[in-house]
Amino acid sequence: MLALQVLVNGILLGGLYGLMALGMSLIWGVMNIVNIAHGALIMLGAYVTFWLFTLWGWDPFLSLPATIALLFVYGYCLQRFLLNLIVRAQLFLTLLITFGVEVVMVNLVRIFWSSDLRQVTPSYAGANFGVGGLTVPYVRLWVFGTTVALSVLFLLILEKTRLGRAIRATSEELRAARLTGIPVAHIYAVTFGLGAALAGAAGGLWGMLFPITPVMGGGLTLKSFVVAVLGGLGTMMGAIVGGLVLGLAESFTATYLGPTWPNAISFGLLVLILIVRPTGIVGRKG
Amino acid sequence: MATRSSAPVVIGALVVLVLAVAPMGLSPFLTQFLINLFMLAALAESWNIIGGFTGYASFGNVAFFGIGAYTTGVLLSVLEWPFALALPLSGLVAMAFAALVGMPILRLKGHYFAIATLGVAETMREIVYNLKITGGGTGLTMPITKNPLPFFYLMLGILLAATVVNWWLSASRFGYGLVAIREDEDAAMAMGINAALYKTAAFALSGAFAGLVGGVFAYWITFIDPEGVFKVITTIQMIIMAVFGGMGTVVGPLLGALVLASVSELLSTHLVSLAELFNGIIVILVVLFMPKGLADAIRKREFSLRQLARNLREYRV
Repeated sequence: MLALQVLVNGILLGGLYGLMALGMSLIWGVMNIVNIAHGALIMLGAYVTFWLFTLWGWDPFLSLPATIALLFVYGYCLQRFLLNLIVRAQLFLTLLITFGVEVVMVNLVRIFWSSDLRQVTPSYAGANFGVGGLTVPYVRLWVFGTTVALSVLFLLILEKTRLGRAIRATSEELRAARLTGIPVAHIYAVTFGLGAALAGAAGGLWGMLFPITPVMGGGLTLKSFVVAVLGGLGTMMGAIVGGLVLGLAESFTATYLGPTWPNAISFGLLVLILIVRPTGIVGRKG
Repeated sequence: MATRSSAPVVIGALVVLVLAVAPMGLSPFLTQFLINLFMLAALAESWNIIGGFTGYASFGNVAFFGIGAYTTGVLLSVLEWPFALALPLSGLVAMAFAALVGMPILRLKGHYFAIATLGVAETMREIVYNLKITGGGTGLTMPITKNPLPFFYLMLGILLAATVVNWWLSASRFGYGLVAIREDEDAAMAMGINAALYKTAAFALSGAFAGLVGGVFAYWITFIDPEGVFKVITTIQMIIMAVFGGMGTVVGPLLGALVLASVSELLSTHLVSLAELFNGIIVILVVLFMPKGLADAIRKREFSLRQLARNLREYRV
């Protein structure tokens, strides 16, 4: 019975990890930027949801569209006015600059909003229901449902719309995309905006389950890597599969090895997967 | 690439001589600042071996620093070994670890290598956090030494050794081999360079110096914990000093460390709460305006706003 409960917990958490990694995988796949600031974007999303809830009493689920919109605009501007300047430099320079962005964001948040632990606690926060001996908190289930809905919506945008085609074209061949009249700088910015929006949504949902602090993002950036790499970079399905794998791995290690071990396991898993199978679980070669 | 003329050697010897007698007349504050500066410069030079010469941008070199710090820490405070034995072991353990980890992960390239190294550093932090012998999350306390002079000379000595090794790389068969790997690994292998061996050796060398620095750091600072010695920002500082000064050059990391350590010291004494914010801003500005480093600008004798603007435009989309 315990094992089944751990399985359910793992899947519910895994959905959220998948949503986090989706944004990172998109930005990596299209622009070849390893976005170290991804966790900081998740953090910002969590704070936006927190403030909307605390100041105006907006329900954290219903305020998600606002969080998503704000983070999209923020991400768009970040790429358009800063990262686009350096996007064609050596790989590790783009990695460095996103690290700089992360440090700046974390410290601005720390200065303006303090390092206090915050929590989003709607009235239904503690409620749960039982099914055949299993306990499922409502919030976790709804969070999972929302991540599935957002992932599907995002995949539809990428696969079925004109914008999605432009993004995929730019990711395949920058020069050819420009020659066919795609405004590359704008598409890059939109792509980063979408990635930031997904991170923001994940952050808003994360804040309902776990405490919010300015430094919460560092570990989440790494976990997004783990998930993106686990599943296979650039493949959007991979992010979702990877998220579930990580959620399950963490859930089981926390229960059977002890609560301080999940991080060691997930970062170790990252190194191991990179060594053994760099293309990920569902990824293709090349 | 630095040439082997005698002028830098003479200047270097003079600087070392001045530094060797300096601490007699220095204020405690300045002594601490210099120890810190030597430490950062030595770390930047050690990163330069793998990141600058070999072209493998490691984002996890702090793992070696942390392993060195913990080797000294455990030997000193748990097993009560003398420091003179513990320190060399710090270098050796870090070197062995770098070689072992390097063999599989140096097969990765670009972002994959960067993230794998980052993952190694984070994994090490979590493992140390979970072990009993390392004191877990509470850390280790070293016996306290009042006199900072030994640390001054030790850090200076390690920095010198690291600089000499970089200088040797800039004009030796082994060093040329590393540069060849950086420029085109397949071509290097076609010319008969054993790339796997060269890369692993460079990584191990880089790890050895970072480990030694970590060992001295642990005894100097007298208290270490996983959060403190496995910080991602420490790796980033190594990289940004090397980039700012000039990657793959001998003097670049020294210049970068001198400028950036001074700036961050000034900022942190006046604006303690904003120091980290400025670190972030510096990272962004260096990447935007000085991606090729000071050493490049000095060699071309080109210091102008126009040059900065050109750097800014070069990688735009």
